[in-house]
This record gives sequence, C-alpha cells and structure tokens, in this order.
Amino acid sequence: MMMDGIEKEISQDRRAFIKKVLGGTIAGSLLLVIPAGAMELSAIPEQIPGMRDDTGTFISKKRKFAFIVDITRCIGCGSCCVADKNEYQVPDGMYRTWVERYVIDDQDNVFVDSPNGGLDGYQEPRKDIEHPVRDTFFVPKLCNMCEHPSCVQVCPVGATYQTDDGFVLVDAKRCVACGYCVQACPYSVRFINPKTKTADKCTWCYHRVRKGLLPACVNVCPVQARKFGDLNDKDSEVYKILHQPHVVSVLKPDMGNKPALHYVGLRREVV
Amino acid sequence: MSPEHGAAVATALTNYVFPNDIHVHWSLMIVLYPYITGIVAGAFIVSSLYHVFGIQSLKPVSRYALVFALAFVAFATAPLLNHLGHPERAMNMMLTPNPTSAMAGFGYIYSAYTIVLILEILFIYRPTLVALKQKATGKMKTLYTILSIGSDNVSEKALKVDHKIIAFLAAIGIPMACTLHGYVGFIFGGVKANPMWATPLMPVIFLLSASVSGIAGIILSYILIKTFTRKFIDMDCVRTLIKFLWGCFILDFVFEMLELFSHAYMATHHWEALKDLYFGPLYQSFWVAQVGIFSLIPFVVLGILSLVKLPDIVVKVLGSVMSFMILIQVILMRWNVVIGGQLMSKSERGHAVFHPLWFEKEGILVSIIIMILPIVFLFLLSKVFPFWLDDDPAVHKQSV
Amino acid sequence: MQHEYKSNYLSHVIKIILVLVVVGVVGVAVRAMVLPKSFGEFGHYRGDAIQDEINRPNRHGTNASCLVCHPYIREMHLAGVHSTVSCEFCHGPVADHVKNGKVTNKLPKKEGKEIKRLCLRCHNQIIRARPKESIKMISMPQHLEQKHVRTDHNCNQCHNVHAPLMWVNEAKAMVGVGEETK
Repeated sequence: MMMDGIEKEISQDRRAFIKKVLGGTIAGSLLLVIPAGAMELSAIPEQIPGMRDDTGTFISKKRKFAFIVDITRCIGCGSCCVADKNEYQVPDGMYRTWVERYVIDDQDNVFVDSPNGGLDGYQEPRKDIEHPVRDTFFVPKLCNMCEHPSCVQVCPVGATYQTDDGFVLVDAKRCVACGYCVQACPYSVRFINPKTKTADKCTWCYHRVRKGLLPACVNVCPVQARKFGDLNDKDSEVYKILHQPHVVSVLKPDMGNKPALHYVGLRREVV
Repeated sequence: MSPEHGAAVATALTNYVFPNDIHVHWSLMIVLYPYITGIVAGAFIVSSLYHVFGIQSLKPVSRYALVFALAFVAFATAPLLNHLGHPERAMNMMLTPNPTSAMAGFGYIYSAYTIVLILEILFIYRPTLVALKQKATGKMKTLYTILSIGSDNVSEKALKVDHKIIAFLAAIGIPMACTLHGYVGFIFGGVKANPMWATPLMPVIFLLSASVSGIAGIILSYILIKTFTRKFIDMDCVRTLIKFLWGCFILDFVFEMLELFSHAYMATHHWEALKDLYFGPLYQSFWVAQVGIFSLIPFVVLGILSLVKLPDIVVKVLGSVMSFMILIQVILMRWNVVIGGQLMSKSERGHAVFHPLWFEKEGILVSIIIMILPIVFLFLLSKVFPFWLDDDPAVHKQSV
Repeated sequence: MQHEYKSNYLSHVIKIILVLVVVGVVGVAVRAMVLPKSFGEFGHYRGDAIQDEINRPNRHGTNASCLVCHPYIREMHLAGVHSTVSCEFCHGPVADHVKNGKVTNKLPKKEGKEIKRLCLRCHNQIIRARPKESIKMISMPQHLEQKHVRTDHNCNQCHNVHAPLMWVNEAKAMVGVGEETK
C-alpha cells in the first residue's frame, strides 16, 4: 500500500521526509492518492460499535441513546457550535446548539450571556459584575429529545415526529412553517430556517448516528463535556453516569417533557 | 457578528434572551388572525341574539350581521397564508391534521363554520334572492339562480322547512362560533412553555373580546353605512347593541384584568419576568393604550350611554366613536397577547424587542390591506344581498 | 299560488345536501390521491422522512477521516496533548475538502494573530468559567513575560499547534533540562 510506504518512510527519517515533501517529490502523490476516500464511511472507523449493522427503519430496540452534557468539564470553546453550524450550514442568527456562560455573584445575582450563541468563543470576561463572583460555568444547550415532546404534540400536520427509537425529527417536505412548535418548545431550541422556510432544530445528528458516527458536536468536543451513548450498554460512559451517584438533572423538569438530554453538575440557576 | 459586538449586545440587554428567542415568529399576521375571526364570531352572535334568542330590537341588523360575518370570514385565512413559510402546503392541515395539535382543528372548524354561515345566509335570504332573480338580467340572473339554489319555490310549505333549517343552523352556529374563537384562545392558552399565554382564562378572554369586537363592528358599520346612504337609523336597535356591547365589555375587561391580577397575586417565579414585560416593552401598548385609553374611556362612556337616556345624535356619535375605540382596544389586546407573549424569552431572564416594518412580507402595509379587503368584499356583497329590510323586494311578501 | 312554482318545495334542500355530499366525497378522494404513501406507516408522520434524514449528507467526518491522508500530522497530533482536538474545528468540515475521493479545495489554515485568538478560545485564564480539570490555562501577556519572550510572539512560535509540547520538550531534551511528561 502506498500509505504504508509513506508511513514507513516517515518513521525512518522524519527530517528527510519533510525535505522531500518540501522538495515536492512526495507532495504530488500525497495530494492525488486519497486511500479509500476520506468521505467514504468505510475509511472512518465506527464511533458507535455495531451501528452499521443496524440497518432497520429504526435503531434496534436493544439500544437507547442518551445525551449527557457535563457542565463541570465544558470550557466554552464553542467547537461544538462551530461544528454544528458547518455540519448543517445553519443560517446566521439561528442556533441548533449554543453555549451559555453563567456568572453568579455572591449576592446571588445571575448573569447569563451567549454572544452569537458562543460561536465565536468567549474571549472577554464580563465586565459588568460589581460583586465578587461566587460561581461561573458554561452550559451548552441543544435539543432535549423529550420523551413527551411539546413540538410533536402541537405540530398540526405531522411534520415534526418522534421516531420509535426516541429521536424527534422534522420532515422538511411537509412542514408548513406555522411556527407553533417554535412557540411550544420550552427550551427554545427551534427556529424557522430562513433558507428552507421550515422548522429546524438539533437532531442529535441522526444521520451521523445511523452511520455509526457520534453527533458532530460530541465528535469535536476537546474535553468530553458532551457525551453520547447507549444506555443499554453497561460499559458506556452515559450508562455509568446515569447509574452511579452523580449530580445529574434535566432542564425545566416541571414542564413534564422528560428530556433525554441530561446534565452533569447542573446548577439550580440554569433554565 | 464579531465577539466584541456580541458582548456589547449581551451587556446592553439588562438580561438574557435565548439566542433563538430574539425572533418574533408570530408577527402582525398572527395579531390579525384572531382579530378577524373574533369579529366574525361576534357578528354572528349579534345575529343569533335575534334569530335564536328573539331579541326583537336587533331585527334590523340580524341579516346584515351575517353578511358582515361572511365578509370577514372570507379573509380569516389571508393572514395565516401570508404568514406560513410554505402556504402551498396549507392543505396539509386538512389532509393530515394531527389529533394532538391544538392548531390542527382549525381547518375543519373554520370550514364547517363557514359552511354553516353561508347556508344560513342563503336560507334567510332565499325569498329575497328569488325575488331579485326575477328582476335581474344577464350575469346577475345567473348569480341569483345559483344563490337561490336553482329553486323558485317560496311557498308557505317551503318557507316552513327553511325556517326549521335556519333555526337549526343558527342554533349550531352559536356553539360553533364560540368554538371557533374560544379555540383560537386555546391555541395560545395551551402553550405551556409560555407563562403569559398558558392560562385557562385565555379562551374566555378571547371569546369575550371576540363578542365585543363583533358587536362594535356592527354598531360602527351600521351607523356609518346608514349615515352615508342617508337612510333611517333604528335607534332602538343601536341602543340595544350598545347595551350588549357594554355588558360584554364589562366581562371582557374584568377578565383581562383578573388574568393579570392572578399572575401578580400568585407571584410565582414567572411573575418576575411577566412584570418586567408589562412594565417594560408593553408599558405603552398595554397600560397606556389598551387599558388606560381604549378600555377605561369606552367602559365609562358605554355605561353612561346604556344607563342614561341621551338624545339620538349623542348616542349616534358617541356610540360610533366608542365602538371604534373598542375595535382598537381589541386589536391592542391581540397585539399585547400575541407579540407580548413572544417578547418574553423562555429563559425568563429577559425580553426581545419587536418593531414591525411598513414594507416587509408581514408588515404594516400588508396588514392594512388585509383589513381593507373584508370591507371591500362587504361592499360587493351589498350589491348582491340587500342588507336592510326596507330595500328588500321580498319583505312585503314575507317577513323573516 | 303554490302551482306557480317550477321547483319542488324541497328541491333546494336536496340540492344543497347533494353538493355537501359531493364536496365530502371529492375531499376524501383527493386526500387519498395526494397523501404520501408512507404517511402513517409508523405514526402520524411520513415514514419515508426517516430515510430522508438518514440520507442527509455528512459534512464532518472524524479525525480518522483526515489523518488517513495526512500521516505526518497524524503522528504528531495523536502523540500530543491536542489529540482530542478536532481537525475540522480549526480547518473546517472535510466535505469542503474532499468529494468522491478527490481533493476539491484546500482547507484554510489559521495564520498570525488568528492563531493566538484560536488558542485563547480555550486557554485564556481570564475566562474564569473554565474548569481546571479540563484544560491548562495561561494568562496573556504574563505567560510570554514569564518565558522571557517578546510579548508580540504568536503561540505557534513556541508551540506546535498539533502537539503543543513537542518542540518545548525537544528543546528541553537538547539543553538537558529534565523531560516534561507529554
């Protein structure tokens, strides 16, 4: 194999290899030969083991996916937001996912912001806080994939639906864009996409998951603050988090929507 | 947006709005939609007061109120279609109505109600239409033939059947009109995610304000049309309408205030956000306009008009001015509920701002056009259906 | 009087009922014709919509999709503390780079001040919300002063962006300072 040869060459003498690259002797072959095609699924190892054999209409009942956001790990870099925007080419000003920054002072005043949804990261500290800061953290937001989704309940035409495997999705071919789901979602994760003129929201990257890949935001998170996995797999991290003592909660539990999105280390100030 | 700019926006807001909540998705069109259906339901109720409940003094406007309702119901879907991102898919509402959706019933409730309204008008006007057909020529004759359902039979036997049908239609029409509008209130009242909307009082308030706007619309247009066509104004009818308007408005206004009062009194964690809303971006449109000017003044003046015997000319002038103010009150109420409810972010930590533009798809100009269309249509209908009994060729033969 | 009428006294009622029935029947027929076949297959929605969603093209791959063609970077990236950092976060989605096994575009590389900005998205100590367990943070420009370099230096003048400690450790090894882990 060509690649093996190149790799061997690199490991033999890196400096010589770089010289050759710079000299152009290898560069050409590197650019022209793309082994197996980087976008072909076969070239990318499965991130969710066994998913590619799961080819039914729905994900096998043996799996139950959960999404966990670990607030105690998030660094607010916004990688997830960037990946999400690029994966779905989300129009400016609309957010399938975003990262909020919470600052709580010692008077219990809560300051929240999310400039451009955290897409540009957080470069500057908040300068409008008079009192000493008691607590500060980042909270990534995305679709809660409710067990009892308000959006599905209110959609007048059956364009927003819940699959048997628990995903809440939008049928862009039937959506009339009445906006009722946008009003009904307690978490404000929905918007009317100005390009498609239909309702849009985070899908937990259903198209990636079904191809054995992690959601784009989980895949890019450098600190594993976003976790996605199978609750029926006792070795999975999500299983361990939800089945061992942890401070775990969901957003707005009194809404009765029963989100499948859980948060580790969620503070009561977070809505 | 640069991060510097973003940070400036974030701190300029006193509090935090979820990024997707900055957009007000239900704009002016969704303010107009309950407004128009409300006028329809209210006008129908006026007609039923005579046809079902036998309030004789309302006879002069009983048929006009139905045609008035028809003129508005014909355009009830106009703002909705303009609002939809995919109006060409609007029929999905009728094709695959989702049984759990509060909105899905609209297509069928609206269609059923429209059919009942049209049938009631055709049956009530049938003797008139038959008489007009005999006089008409050309295209008008064809139109009248269709409208009189190809029958010239106005025998006593036929009219007896018609009367039974009219009574039946009017009787099912009332619950349907109430359903149509109470249900519009429920579309908002059932949104649990929005604490301003999610109250069981919402359908009640919508229904009462519907009655109010319908009655006010009838009073104003009756006085205006009669004045401009230099025809006789039945003051007994106007006075009765004003009494009903006042009565309904008492209930409407009291419930509107009660709804706010219960929020304030119970003072749950939602109230903090609602208070900021009512005393922030809604201060002018709610407290100053809706409550201060367009509720309190009509409330007092309508009371005086109802209780004190005043000269006809005063009743005419004040009655139409107050009706106009009530019509403004109701549209302000729709604005404050529909737009106001969306201004408060579901973060309950801040609110967005909304300023409609004149020349956008759902802007002010389009709204004005949509509100003028029913009036133009009403004018066209007047050429076909004589509003007033004194213009009716059939009236000397048969009183309706 | 009655004999003058051409129509039967019930004819209009029958005609209206007929019209309503016809409207109803036509409505039901039209609905059957235009309804997507898969609607209601699994619930109150179009069953084929699931396949439509699955077929949505992937724009991101994984780090494996990039490193398969960039073995030199692969070696550096996977050995360093930045091994968990996504290639596509800094360079953009692979779909903008490769299509049908062919390179279509070069992905952008951050240069100059952009690099510093990018590094500080994660490592800026002044943003206190960052948990120390997750990430190593530095203050600017104190870090540069401490290391006795010019304060207009860019991060990538000392740190390889793919393996931030590679050059630092190599330099330390060369001058004989005790090797830092990773």
